[in-house]
Amino acid sequence: MSKSKIFLVLLVMSVLAAPARTSGETVVPASKQAELIEVLKSGDASRKEKVDACRLLSIIATKEAVPVLASLLADEEMSHMARYALESIPDPSVDEAFRAALGKLKGRQRVGVIGSIGVRRDDKATTALCRLFSDSDPDVAQAAARALGSIGTPSAVTALNDALRAQKTRAPQANKLALYEGLLRCAEIMAADGQNKEAAAIYDDLRNSDAAHQVRGGAVRGAILTRSEKEGLKLMAQYLDSDDYILFSAAVQASLEMPGSGATKVLADGAKGLPADNRILIIKALGNRADASDELQGLAEKGEKAVRLEAVKAIAMNDDGDSVTFLAKLLDDGDKDIADAAQEVLASLSGSKVDKAIIAMLDSKDTANQLKALELIERRRTGGIADALLKAAKDNDESVRTASIRMLGDLAGEVDFKVLVNLMLGAKSAAEIRAAERALSTTCTRQAKPMPGEVIIRKAVYGAAGQGGSADVTAKVAEMVKAGAASIQASNANFGDPAQNVVKQLRIDFTANGVTQSKTVGENKSIDLMVAATPPELTNQLCAAIKKASPGQKLALLRVLRVAQGPRALEAVVAATKDSNEEVAAAAVSVLCGWPTIEALPEILKLTASSDNKVKILAVRGAIRLIPLQNVSMERKIAGFKELVPLIQRDGERRLLLGSLATVPASESLEMAMSYIRNANTKNEACFAAVAICEKLVEQKPDQVAAALKKVLDATSNADVTSRAKAVLEKAGN
Amino acid sequence: MSKKKTTLTRRGFLRRAAFLSAAPTIVPATVFGRDGKVPPSERIILGGIGIGNRGSHDLRWMLPEKDVQFVATCDPQKSRAEAVKKIVDTRYGNTDCKIYRNTPEFLTERTDIDALLVTTGDRWHALMSIMAMRAGKDVYSEKPSSMTVAEGQGVVDTARRYRRIYQTGTQRLSEGNFAFCNEMLRLGRLGKVHTVRAHIAPWDAAEMRHDWLPAEPQPPKDEVDWDAWLGPCPWRPYNSAYCRGGWRGFYDFHTSCIGEWGAHTFAQCQVAIDQAHTSAVEYNYVKNKTGDGMVVVFPNGIKMVLQLEGWRGSCGVKYEGPEGWVAAADGYSQPDVSDPAMLGDFKKIVADYMTRTQRPMSHVRDFLDCVKSRRQTVANPVVMHRTMTTVHGANICMWLKRNLKFDPVKEQFVNDPEANRFLSRAMRAPWMI
Repeated sequence: MSKSKIFLVLLVMSVLAAPARTSGETVVPASKQAELIEVLKSGDASRKEKVDACRLLSIIATKEAVPVLASLLADEEMSHMARYALESIPDPSVDEAFRAALGKLKGRQRVGVIGSIGVRRDDKATTALCRLFSDSDPDVAQAAARALGSIGTPSAVTALNDALRAQKTRAPQANKLALYEGLLRCAEIMAADGQNKEAAAIYDDLRNSDAAHQVRGGAVRGAILTRSEKEGLKLMAQYLDSDDYILFSAAVQASLEMPGSGATKVLADGAKGLPADNRILIIKALGNRADASDELQGLAEKGEKAVRLEAVKAIAMNDDGDSVTFLAKLLDDGDKDIADAAQEVLASLSGSKVDKAIIAMLDSKDTANQLKALELIERRRTGGIADALLKAAKDNDESVRTASIRMLGDLAGEVDFKVLVNLMLGAKSAAEIRAAERALSTTCTRQAKPMPGEVIIRKAVYGAAGQGGSADVTAKVAEMVKAGAASIQASNANFGDPAQNVVKQLRIDFTANGVTQSKTVGENKSIDLMVAATPPELTNQLCAAIKKASPGQKLALLRVLRVAQGPRALEAVVAATKDSNEEVAAAAVSVLCGWPTIEALPEILKLTASSDNKVKILAVRGAIRLIPLQNVSMERKIAGFKELVPLIQRDGERRLLLGSLATVPASESLEMAMSYIRNANTKNEACFAAVAICEKLVEQKPDQVAAALKKVLDATSNADVTSRAKAVLEKAGN
Repeated sequence: MSKKKTTLTRRGFLRRAAFLSAAPTIVPATVFGRDGKVPPSERIILGGIGIGNRGSHDLRWMLPEKDVQFVATCDPQKSRAEAVKKIVDTRYGNTDCKIYRNTPEFLTERTDIDALLVTTGDRWHALMSIMAMRAGKDVYSEKPSSMTVAEGQGVVDTARRYRRIYQTGTQRLSEGNFAFCNEMLRLGRLGKVHTVRAHIAPWDAAEMRHDWLPAEPQPPKDEVDWDAWLGPCPWRPYNSAYCRGGWRGFYDFHTSCIGEWGAHTFAQCQVAIDQAHTSAVEYNYVKNKTGDGMVVVFPNGIKMVLQLEGWRGSCGVKYEGPEGWVAAADGYSQPDVSDPAMLGDFKKIVADYMTRTQRPMSHVRDFLDCVKSRRQTVANPVVMHRTMTTVHGANICMWLKRNLKFDPVKEQFVNDPEANRFLSRAMRAPWMI
């Protein structure tokens, strides 16, 4: 074989191989065009290879590729892909090729070429397309009508109109729809080019025709929008008065595309005298307009309920405060649905204008209005309201005062704490005292700041947020806390990477000052292990106030002190246990015994020796609750429990004790729990406690656990306890 | 044009409208195209096209709605059509649901149908919606609702031309957690938001398959009409896997991992940042298989980052501002927030959104309400088209492996004829927009 022949063979082979190599690509370099053209010319290339070549040419082809692609337009298998490549080539030779093919092709190939001509908007094809309207193939006729519509020239309009007239009676409905669509497309193109008069003429013909509803409705819209504002509104008004609902609703829909107060007025005027359904449609349209408050108020004021309701709801969509007074009146409407809707709208409206209007309502002399305003302020979470609420907190009406005081507590930080304390000291009725208590408690909670405390890490896990790897990092976190860390960052630097390429999180279960907490943060965020506590300056004010307070106020302030916590608050509560007023002293004992942190335990233990049986019971209950929270050895906790046992008189406290014992897994606590198993009133709690202890003790004391659980199984009828006991027994080797 | 309002009052609508205050707005059936010849009814007569697995979910959301009557389904696959009939007939306790195999015939014959549920494969969504709207039907279409920018424009033009109601199935626009996130942004609780993050599907890639599955003998046309199944897409030999959902990942039929979830998450982000009426102006190429990390910039300067990882559920979005962030994805019991205090007003914020916009927290219900009120849906044609344009732009950026700039007014890439060639694809005859 000569060198030149070998070269030719290699060239053909490489060209044929090219698409195989590129068939996985979406884009190839422009330099590949020649190779791809050769594939299309090749008699040996497969259909798939040719399809790939066309697809790739659709992105890179130039006029050089047009002849070969055009030659495929008549090929039943390749015609579509030839157009696929040709349609995007920005060269007039493509249009010439399509036009040339139009007269030669039949069936789907012809329909496809017509579609491509429409996409490319080739106005030189107008005459040829017009001839196809009456083609016996409906696909050809319809494609020609749509393509001509995309070209959108005056001659296209004339041709489409002529065709419509010619086909008025005999053409299939689908063909007519295509002709109508051709005309609508022409009108759109003309309107976009600023030829509004010509576009409007098309729409006018169609809206007055007997075309399908979607054509007539669309034409009404177009006819309104392509006219001058004045003429458009005039036409809109006419259709709002129409008894043809399709055309009426088309006019309403057109208004959605018409800015300006003119359309608002026409809609509002048009609504008068219409049936409810028509008015509701207009109301929906008015709701979209920013200048329709007056009109919507008018429609919401009276008439059929459904219409009024829709008008009230529509006010919410754009009103910036103009309707507040009106809506406030509706809060008293005799129809509850209307009143409820008005309230929902008032609560949802945003903007300072609305806030001001509602504050003005609060400042009025009308108690009913003031109470409505307060409810709205609360629902709206209105800001900058402190002064208005403080003023209302001194109102002559108790209900206004009470609501205002209660809401002041929600404005954490906005109102001086001293002001709230004084409101408490000035409170007269029980309702006002309760409101002031709520305000103070809420403020204490919200103003609480992180402070160092005694932290015990119970469990810490670092790992994938969803499914994926994780690591128990309890020991590591405990070590960090012991070294003085008050904040732990969730990071690979601290804990390694248990789940690579996955966003992780850190969860820490801990006890801070006896309060059990659980916190979770995402990667690179930190968990503060400090205790949230009310600032001492606030607590000091409460302690000072309690000395001046009336008995009723003292009861409330004691409960606030329990929320505030801290040593100063505890001290004040302990002092109050000796108050000369018996009711106050009893309340203080109750607060002390329910104190949430372990600092109260020494004082509570003292009370266990009280001669007052009621006090003794409260103290025993408080001690049982706090002993397990101490950061001391299990032996000391059990010793604490043992000291309480002789003081316990009732099964209620015995059950509490068993609940606490369950959290202290030790040999002695198991013995204590088992001692209650024969008492029918404590049997269930004893079994629960024994199983919980055994689950943690099984590896250290398998024999003791086995013996205890056998008794549990004899005693219990609870399915969960039985199942857990059997599982532990199995672990114990039984 | 007289003031005779005879048809409405005579049909008893007023009575219903006046006393059923909780019911949606009642609109005479004439508005749906019966030209007053059929007695009005408060029910929306619904049909379906191409209802498969995903469509069955939509159907099951629609059937319980009291103002819906589903009457017929059309599918080139016989088994799927029969499965839909079974669901519908079981629901209504009769055998009335009709089956059609040819879409043009179905659309021409069933003039009684007001609205259609279009849940074909992606390749058919836009064209089928256009055909349905041409026939005067309103449309609820599954996503992704366009294969190209041109298809999206076609849906917008057709809906406007025939004043049809259309909703794309980006149902998270009607879910509380996502609505809350959008409202946090709108209310300024995050400060001036600079970045939003959109989840893209964790399967497939941006680069898609162009191969053909091995040819299998074509089943009888009565079982699967392969030509109709392919629709406007390039021909390829039949393989049953395509009909079982195996079309995903193929360039001719799918919009990649970016479109799979971007159809949802881009819509959520663009609605949140008030850019659903326009298109992104910059696409920055990232050298990986999925587009993960691509930064898309909108006309208002806000950046949207395509993000594959870091979510605990599907279709996640995150909005970041100088004063905080919010995030949500499927399965979150409540949105993730930078400050737990943000969630204090969760219920109020969602309720206020519903009151202010008059949008229900049900995507299907929003569509049905809008069919009656003729108001634009929450995921209307423009929202669909502009957000799918972002999907297409991101895909084209990945295919061309370079940065792109886009003109949202001209809806073309700037000085980039190569990229512009991806804006449309010639359709296989006889199909055309």
